[in-house]
Amino acid sequence: MTATSLDRPFTVVSLLPRLLNTNGDAGNARVLAQRVRWSGHDARVVDVHTRADLPEHVDAVSIGSGTDAALLPARDALRTLVDELRVWSNSGVPVLAVGTGWELLSWGIDLADGSVLEGLGLVAGHAVPRAARATDDIIVASKYGRLIGFENHARDYVGAEASPLGRVLYGTGNADAPASGPQIEGLTMGEVFCTHLHGPVLARNPALADHLLKAAFGRLDLEYALGVTAESVDETARTARNQVAVRLGQSAE
Amino acid sequence: MRFVSSLRYAPAILVGRIVRVLARWRKPGGGSAIPGVVVNRIAPGFLAATLNGFPLGLVIVTGSSGKSTTTKMLVAVLRAHGLSVFTNQSTANISQGLTSALLEQVGLSGKIAGDVAVLEMDEGHGAFIAGSLTPRVVALTNVMVDQIDRFHDSEMVAALLAKIAARATESVVLNADDRYLADLGQVLEPTVSVARYGVTAEVLAQYPRGLGYADTAPTRLSAGTGLQLTRVAGRDADVHFATGVQSIRLPARGIHYAVDALTALSTAQSTLGERFDPAIACTALSAMPAVFGRGEVVTVGGKTIEFVLVQNPSSFQLNVDSLEPGTEQILVIIGSDVRDPSYFWPVDTSGLGHVLIASGLKAHDIALQLAYDDVTVDRIEPDVPTALDAFVALPDPVAGVKTIIFSADGMRRTRAHLGLVSNTEEPV
Ligand SMILES: [Zn+2]
Repeated sequence: MTATSLDRPFTVVSLLPRLLNTNGDAGNARVLAQRVRWSGHDARVVDVHTRADLPEHVDAVSIGSGTDAALLPARDALRTLVDELRVWSNSGVPVLAVGTGWELLSWGIDLADGSVLEGLGLVAGHAVPRAARATDDIIVASKYGRLIGFENHARDYVGAEASPLGRVLYGTGNADAPASGPQIEGLTMGEVFCTHLHGPVLARNPALADHLLKAAFGRLDLEYALGVTAESVDETARTARNQVAVRLGQSAE
Repeated sequence: MRFVSSLRYAPAILVGRIVRVLARWRKPGGGSAIPGVVVNRIAPGFLAATLNGFPLGLVIVTGSSGKSTTTKMLVAVLRAHGLSVFTNQSTANISQGLTSALLEQVGLSGKIAGDVAVLEMDEGHGAFIAGSLTPRVVALTNVMVDQIDRFHDSEMVAALLAKIAARATESVVLNADDRYLADLGQVLEPTVSVARYGVTAEVLAQYPRGLGYADTAPTRLSAGTGLQLTRVAGRDADVHFATGVQSIRLPARGIHYAVDALTALSTAQSTLGERFDPAIACTALSAMPAVFGRGEVVTVGGKTIEFVLVQNPSSFQLNVDSLEPGTEQILVIIGSDVRDPSYFWPVDTSGLGHVLIASGLKAHDIALQLAYDDVTVDRIEPDVPTALDAFVALPDPVAGVKTIIFSADGMRRTRAHLGLVSNTEEPV
């Protein structure tokens, strides 16, 4: 028998929003919760700064991006949650990590001064300094449709070649175009999604948001249905994406 | 010697003036930085020598946010005390622009008639030119993280401000509610006095989201240890001086204007010493016209419209929180100056409730954020003139005034379309 509703609010955990929200990426948690409400269910965002803030049930996880000054305290705080992160990623709870939030889940971050900040080792690869900061719109072809966002990072990401989020159509992504092979952006591992895309990425690209929500609802034996409000809001997102695409010489969708 | 009395810089000044005339001749009203470039090349010491040469010295206002308003307030207060003040225009805060501005007024002796110089400085540029300047007073407003400029994290901004503060010869005026500045106050040379200002715990409690600082100091100033803001309500505020409480009328609604006023008053007190009169200061401050583009009220086609300029997420949040509750006619214009749409997402815009029109090049992006914050948006109209005409044409609202919230680019387009004089002195 399939249930039709939750007996508790759908719970999105926003990890370290005080340290990791420089680009507004903690907004991805807000996007997930709001889309769940629009689909007719109760939902809430729980800000988690320490273990004490952890809710009993976790349906989706959002990790934003911060300044380099916050790297060390954010890494240390995330380390106290590494068991939970491992359980979530192994049990199909969708996790979205953006920018430095993603870098902290990796093997580590090579800093400009030559030192290495060890990461949590949850996803393959690591971050390395790039010659010049990548700051521009970015367009990515992915399984979840054409994703459009804004990238702003001073490091490349190496080691995601086996399972990127998508192929770069415009912009930098994980690194500048290689001599051979595709230029890629992001990393996926099960339902863990890592990306450089700001926007926030889920507001700009609701197809990716809905993929995460379907995965989360699937775990609960529930059907995720697009709300009426979402349909009109997604139309706004589509126009916003098309403006960028057309300006950069790509076709409108 | 307090001022430059030789004719050492006369040739450079003359050349600068000629270049200025030529630049104006080529492009009426323009070319303001070029003469400065020329003079700085011929006589690199000119800028510092002149700025350091005022009888009452040089006052520098710097920090992440509020410098422009604070500087204008400070100048008004000093002038009300009978001082003749040389000050820079916001866009002229780099050395060439400053030199050009100085050339306007300087005599061939390299001296400017005036009692005191008050300069607004960008934290980055300030550290760059501060090496040659010896300000008597340095005022520090706050440390905020500008999301659009992520190269500058809070530690870096604080370090730049510390560099400027280290140049002060007499006093450093600082915001004791800002943790970075409060910490800086602890490590300054004992030869300079530190003047602290801050809000009371009651005032802070009115703003559950804080005042926008990168880090708020854990404690408030204790009574009697500095100027205190004891009350803010709309455009009215109370300031507690050692001699008693004075009320002020702010040029616009909002806690940030109240803190700017507090900064200006505290800096004026440090600059004037015994001559400072709280009553004169508060009267001058209260008589200031609304700050351009920030809470400015204009009349267009018989309709009253309030302008709210948002320059960064902190000012956006403070402005949303300061809006008259129930304001029923709101137009939001976000332009091409906001390159990364996620820039404004740290802001909780739900307090706006209902926006009539979202406009500007980033109309769809701001509409997205509003939608996710449960704000109803009636219409998305990227074309600014079309949106403005529709908005102005609506009958006056029952609750609140017509309010336009815009980014700097939105402000420029709005002013141009409504035929309002544009003020090149304002940062755009
Ligand atoms: Zn900067």
